[in-house]
Amino acid sequence: MTVEQDCVALDQFPVGMRVLAVDDDQTCLRILESLLHRCQYHVTTTNQAQKALELLRENKNKFDLVISDVDMPDMDGFKLLELVGLEMDLPVIRVTHGACDYLLKPVRIEELKNIWQHVVRSRFDKNRGSNNGDKKDGSGNNEGVANSDPNNGRANRKRKDQYNEDEDEERDDNDDPSSQKKPRVVWTVELHKKFVAAVNQLGFEKAMPKKILDLMNVEKLTRENVASHLQKFRLYLKRISGNQQAIMANSDLHFLQMSNGLDGFHHRPIPVGSGQNVLQNPTDLGKFHHVSSLPLNHIDGGNILQGLPMPLEFDQLQTNNNKSIIAGNSMAFPSFPTQQSSLPNNNNHLVLEGHPQASPSAFPGHQINKRLEHWSNAVSSSSSTLPPAQNSNSIIIGHQFDVSPLPHSKPDSLEWNTQNASSSYSIPFCDSTIPLTSSMNTNPRAFYRTTDLDSNANVQPGVYYDSSQMRQSGNYGPTTDAMLSSNPKEGFIVGQQKLQSGFMGAEAGSLDDIVNSTMKQEQSQGDLSEGDLGYGGFSSLRTCL
Amino acid sequence: MNTVVVAQLQRQFQEYLVSLYQQGFLDNQFTELRKLQDEGTPDFVAEVVSLFFDDCSKLINSMSRSLGRPESVDFKQVDSGVHQLKGSSSSVGARRVKNVCISFKECCDVQNREGCLRCLQQVDYEYKMLKTKLEDLFNLEQQILQAGGTIPQININ
Repeated sequence: MTVEQDCVALDQFPVGMRVLAVDDDQTCLRILESLLHRCQYHVTTTNQAQKALELLRENKNKFDLVISDVDMPDMDGFKLLELVGLEMDLPVIRVTHGACDYLLKPVRIEELKNIWQHVVRSRFDKNRGSNNGDKKDGSGNNEGVANSDPNNGRANRKRKDQYNEDEDEERDDNDDPSSQKKPRVVWTVELHKKFVAAVNQLGFEKAMPKKILDLMNVEKLTRENVASHLQKFRLYLKRISGNQQAIMANSDLHFLQMSNGLDGFHHRPIPVGSGQNVLQNPTDLGKFHHVSSLPLNHIDGGNILQGLPMPLEFDQLQTNNNKSIIAGNSMAFPSFPTQQSSLPNNNNHLVLEGHPQASPSAFPGHQINKRLEHWSNAVSSSSSTLPPAQNSNSIIIGHQFDVSPLPHSKPDSLEWNTQNASSSYSIPFCDSTIPLTSSMNTNPRAFYRTTDLDSNANVQPGVYYDSSQMRQSGNYGPTTDAMLSSNPKEGFIVGQQKLQSGFMGAEAGSLDDIVNSTMKQEQSQGDLSEGDLGYGGFSSLRTCL
Repeated sequence: MNTVVVAQLQRQFQEYLVSLYQQGFLDNQFTELRKLQDEGTPDFVAEVVSLFFDDCSKLINSMSRSLGRPESVDFKQVDSGVHQLKGSSSSVGARRVKNVCISFKECCDVQNREGCLRCLQQVDYEYKMLKTKLEDLFNLEQQILQAGGTIPQININ
């Protein structure tokens, strides 16, 4: 596929991506098939490598990705990979219960949700003129070696409470290769303006990285940089409902903030939910600072902070006068403590840009945290009902939305309905009294609690993936749309996104975020347990299931 | 629908399932498997575990043959069998079976035939035990459904 096709095709991924799954173990194959179906991939299975080759040779364009077990009797998975790679240029993901490779058995759904990235990445690599060595198979070998240590440790580990961690490690390892050691490009306003100008000149639909790159004429900018930026840009625009033009005009800053946040934040998002980083008690402003010192340094301090409070209790914020939480709207995020606050500093409002906030009572902050954790855990445990929400981009909460809790039915997929939904379960952003400006969205990762989501942190496509997945999964019930469209102001507001699931994924539709806020509301008031923000809350979540 | 009966059955089911986790028969992978089951695929778990037990049976038989004659044990074959068994058991969340496989592999690595035979026996025992347990569990599920109820989700700590 050409780059052009790739870019366009991105829109279609990952739903419907055609995967060929090969595993001689019928149990594993069956599970794999089911997992892939859950991810809405189109799956073909075979338990023989030979057959797989035949299928592939039959029609080279029939599949987008091959997932193969490496320990098969009739053909070594490596060999299959080699042949497939050479003949067909398809990315192959290897599955093993051994020490290396991409996916360890038991294969988890979260990992599968990321596999489409391999397709994209390998195609981008290919288009960059890199040889086969760059493709997943090649780089995979390197990765395999590099991964062998952590993976070895994991090989025998039961996948109990480690979904997130495991995935993080895998993701980090797996997704780094293509971008090894490339200095990150920071998309400044100027650069972005050029980019946008180029895109506009070419026509949004037709804009292709190579051409954009040429038009921009910036030294040291690679096609890949442009490609990934373009992707993000597209995602961003997708998220914005309605009036794209107007938004684009104003969105440069927002977008950049967002994208820079993304760029900057490669690694683990602040595990907001985890005990350490979360404000566990009302006056723990210190922790906030602590948070800001998390390895997200490269991210605008403000971003993180902005994101953080989201899941945190408002009460706490109140005490702190929200000063550390309020996120300035400007591009330049001041350092955490000095964040300018153009917002009326009311109690429970991580008010951004002065948008009116709902009353704090609607937002049982603390609970949300806990819920988030629980939910994240649940999600990470590969609930197929939940979108990967890999990127923490969005806890775009209730930006100017009707903050009062709306009686939306919870998405069944989240199985919240099984729980007593005493609190009116509303879309998180609606309920949240933490309206976040788009600027806050720049560092969605901050919101991102669960580590499993981190898996996508490093991968651009992940963002895309999430949102599209979310949109397309259609599993998430609530009527976000109505709510979302009610506040069309901030282009960036998640609310505007017509997420079926009601998750506003600013960047990457962080399902987690949304869930968090939702969960918070759900939980009974009495369910505050300070400090129980880590994965310890797992059991609670289970109750809902 | 007799709600009292259903509630009772559901409680029974839940307790039984939890106990399986607590006793180490199952681990979280099984939970995930359950999550993959939905209205569209109501028998998914049953199907998968049934495939698993089939695999177990086949693999155990073939390994048994390989280990059969002391003078000519094909450890490679045994190793491959264990490996596969380990993979599939971890995929379905059959924790005990998987654990035995780990020991089994060690015996195989050092070509300890006696050890392998012991492990083989143990694996056989474990998978059959699990099979029984899960059959009971599925029975409970059926009873719930027949009584008009729905199968509760797990509450695992």
